[in-house]
Amino acid sequence: MRKIISLVLFFATVVVSNSFGAYPSKAIKLIVPSKAGGSTDTTARLFAQTAKKYWKGAKFIIVDKPGSGGLMGFEAEARSRADGYTLGLMFTPQIVAHIVAKRATYTLDSFKIIGNVAEDPEIVVVPAQSSVKNLDDLVKLAKSKKITAAVNGIGSDDFLAAKNFESATGVKFNLMPTKGSTEEKAAILGNHIEVAFMNLSQMLAQHKAGKARIIAIMSKKRSDVAMDIKTSVEQGYNVLMTATRGMLINAKVKKNIADKISDLYSKVVNDKEFQAKCKKAFIFLKPMKGKVYRDYLVQLQKDTQKVYDVSPW
Amino acid sequence: MIILDALHAVMSVSVLTAVTVGSISGIIIGGMPGLTATMAVALLIPITFSFSPLIGLSLMGGVYAGAMYGGSIAAILLSTPGTPAAAATAIEGYPLTKQGKGGLALKVSVVASFIGGTFSVVVLLLVSPLLAQFALKFGPPEYFLLALMGLTGVISVSTGGLVKGIISGLIGLIIALIGTDAMSGVLRYTFGQVELYEGVSFMPALIGMFSIAQMLALTSEKRIANDDIDLSSIKREKMPKGMAPFIALGTAVGTLVGIIPGEGATIAAFVSYNMAKQKSKFKNLFGKGNPEGIAAAESGNNACVGGSLVPLLTLGIPGNTVSAALMGGLMIQGLIPGPELFTKYGQITYGFILSLFIANIVFLVVGLFFAPYFARIALIPASILIAAISVFAVIGSYAINNSMFDVGLMLTFAFTGFFLDKMGFSLSAIILGMILGPIAESGFAQALTISGGAYSIFFASVPAKILWVIIIILLVQPMISHYRSKKIKNTAS
Repeated sequence: MRKIISLVLFFATVVVSNSFGAYPSKAIKLIVPSKAGGSTDTTARLFAQTAKKYWKGAKFIIVDKPGSGGLMGFEAEARSRADGYTLGLMFTPQIVAHIVAKRATYTLDSFKIIGNVAEDPEIVVVPAQSSVKNLDDLVKLAKSKKITAAVNGIGSDDFLAAKNFESATGVKFNLMPTKGSTEEKAAILGNHIEVAFMNLSQMLAQHKAGKARIIAIMSKKRSDVAMDIKTSVEQGYNVLMTATRGMLINAKVKKNIADKISDLYSKVVNDKEFQAKCKKAFIFLKPMKGKVYRDYLVQLQKDTQKVYDVSPW
Repeated sequence: MIILDALHAVMSVSVLTAVTVGSISGIIIGGMPGLTATMAVALLIPITFSFSPLIGLSLMGGVYAGAMYGGSIAAILLSTPGTPAAAATAIEGYPLTKQGKGGLALKVSVVASFIGGTFSVVVLLLVSPLLAQFALKFGPPEYFLLALMGLTGVISVSTGGLVKGIISGLIGLIIALIGTDAMSGVLRYTFGQVELYEGVSFMPALIGMFSIAQMLALTSEKRIANDDIDLSSIKREKMPKGMAPFIALGTAVGTLVGIIPGEGATIAAFVSYNMAKQKSKFKNLFGKGNPEGIAAAESGNNACVGGSLVPLLTLGIPGNTVSAALMGGLMIQGLIPGPELFTKYGQITYGFILSLFIANIVFLVVGLFFAPYFARIALIPASILIAAISVFAVIGSYAINNSMFDVGLMLTFAFTGFFLDKMGFSLSAIILGMILGPIAESGFAQALTISGGAYSIFFASVPAKILWVIIIILLVQPMISHYRSKKIKNTAS
């Protein structure tokens, strides 16, 4: 008899929790389209840690799906079940660059954009021994001889920034794609190349230690963490580039669940503890809500298309 | 004295516990194919927020050191390298297990790992800034030559004849061509498969060709160890004599190669193995279970741990994926790589380095104590073992990239590997080609981008010239010994 009662009770709980149970009733996957231990991965882990404060008892599982400049992860996010139990991290400009280069099977419409979390502005960096002190010097040097510029892979933010800089100034670099910021760092610190296009977080420590020189940050405003670095706009070059890291879900997720996720996102990015941890980890927060961020992505896709049309990869 | 302060900080119960826990879990993680030290360190990053910096770092350091050693256990006993760096160990270790000498192989591996690991940490402690300058001398042309030096290892790992060995190496290089061309972004031989855009990932290939192919071969046996082995002798294996020069060789190569950012540990293990074979008096025993090979390969890959931290701590350039994840852990604690780490934050940095010594001692004790017990795996009936290993192999290949495609890849490599092995081709040479191919290719292409197409760049710098000399020695020496042995045969007949 006891067994039957417990069995009935068990099924009753299952039915109740499935039909009336509030979201979330099971573990939520957080897909990270890059390697464990990287900056996007750390962002996701800190997000999950903070999210538990607001969704008591909720479980988050970080799933790293690295490969092909995030493409493997973006594809998995687009194919994920639309039940709200899969959140995805994304980064620009790769997510739109894959669409432009016709590598992706998804489009921006495959996703509901939750919002942006962080950004990492593009920088132009030269070896400490270099005579180049600013962008004018760089253009002068590049016009006098062929110089090598390292970027992080074809279709990356670095690559697009270098291409935009080329078309804005009329110079032509010897573009050297690398397999990641580590190779770019080694090439600059070892004085093997003249210039590299990278992200601020990757070279900030070396710049402050005087081992490399960041000559420009490619944004409209200077960065709080390095006020000494002049922007490209200040130096008279209107070339902007930044890498953003946002969050998305499958476009078909029901509205009430999507709203809950958006609400969680807002709470986490405004959390003081989360902000403090990100600052320590060199993650520069730049919250942008769904609609605003989506417009940004649409514009970015158009800009990337222009570069692709001139020199496809 | 800052180092003494650091020593004092390390000798606290909490730090010692952290190192021990880290090191032991590292051994387990390293021993499981598919679980990597990188994943473990990444998992620890958010957790370390709640610890003091030194505890968090020594936990991560312990995992790193433990995992590098742990990779050798499964490599020796089951021919299942937990990390690509342990592949060379499997070549010599597994045959020894088959002969019932698994305990001996494990002992050699743990002692070699300990010496290699400890020496490299001494180097890290004493001459980091100096060595960082050496690391910076390496640019794209030197990376290309380094990969070329690793590729000469094809000669040593191919046991079924040189021609078949070279063909195997070329097969590996051809497989490495699949994926996106890093220079132009063009897709090569991907047949529209998104999973192949990044290239064929080598962990599934490694698990398939080493582990499953061996299990297929095992189906015709009752268990790994041959039947005629005295079961009780496994426990009482002594450390063989004459290992010292090979451990020294591996340690030197590992420390130097580890300092250079890149795929350090794997290159170090294979280069050490290759050099050990050239140097050995028992060349013919290589591939059939020569502890000298294990000694060189294991001291080589463990010596990379200290080496890879040199550019990380001094310049903020991580030498491999594990130290890249470690860098995340450092920054979260507000420790920004650079000279300040050794002055302002000296107590933490030196404390972290000292904790690595303890991590090495922990895995030495654990390894020596458990070696005889681990070795008994060889006595488990094949029918049980094969099923268990297959499960691990499937989970392991899935877990690397969370991809089902990789499981299929693993199985494909397993079956092709099995037949290629039967035909006398070298699976190790294929793996070597796959790992080193991309490094050689990008180094080559990047160097020519810098030089504007002039090949003189490959001979320009001092490190490049030294590397050429080593490459030539590694190529010429086997030729001479080959010629000699032929001559002896001719005169005898």
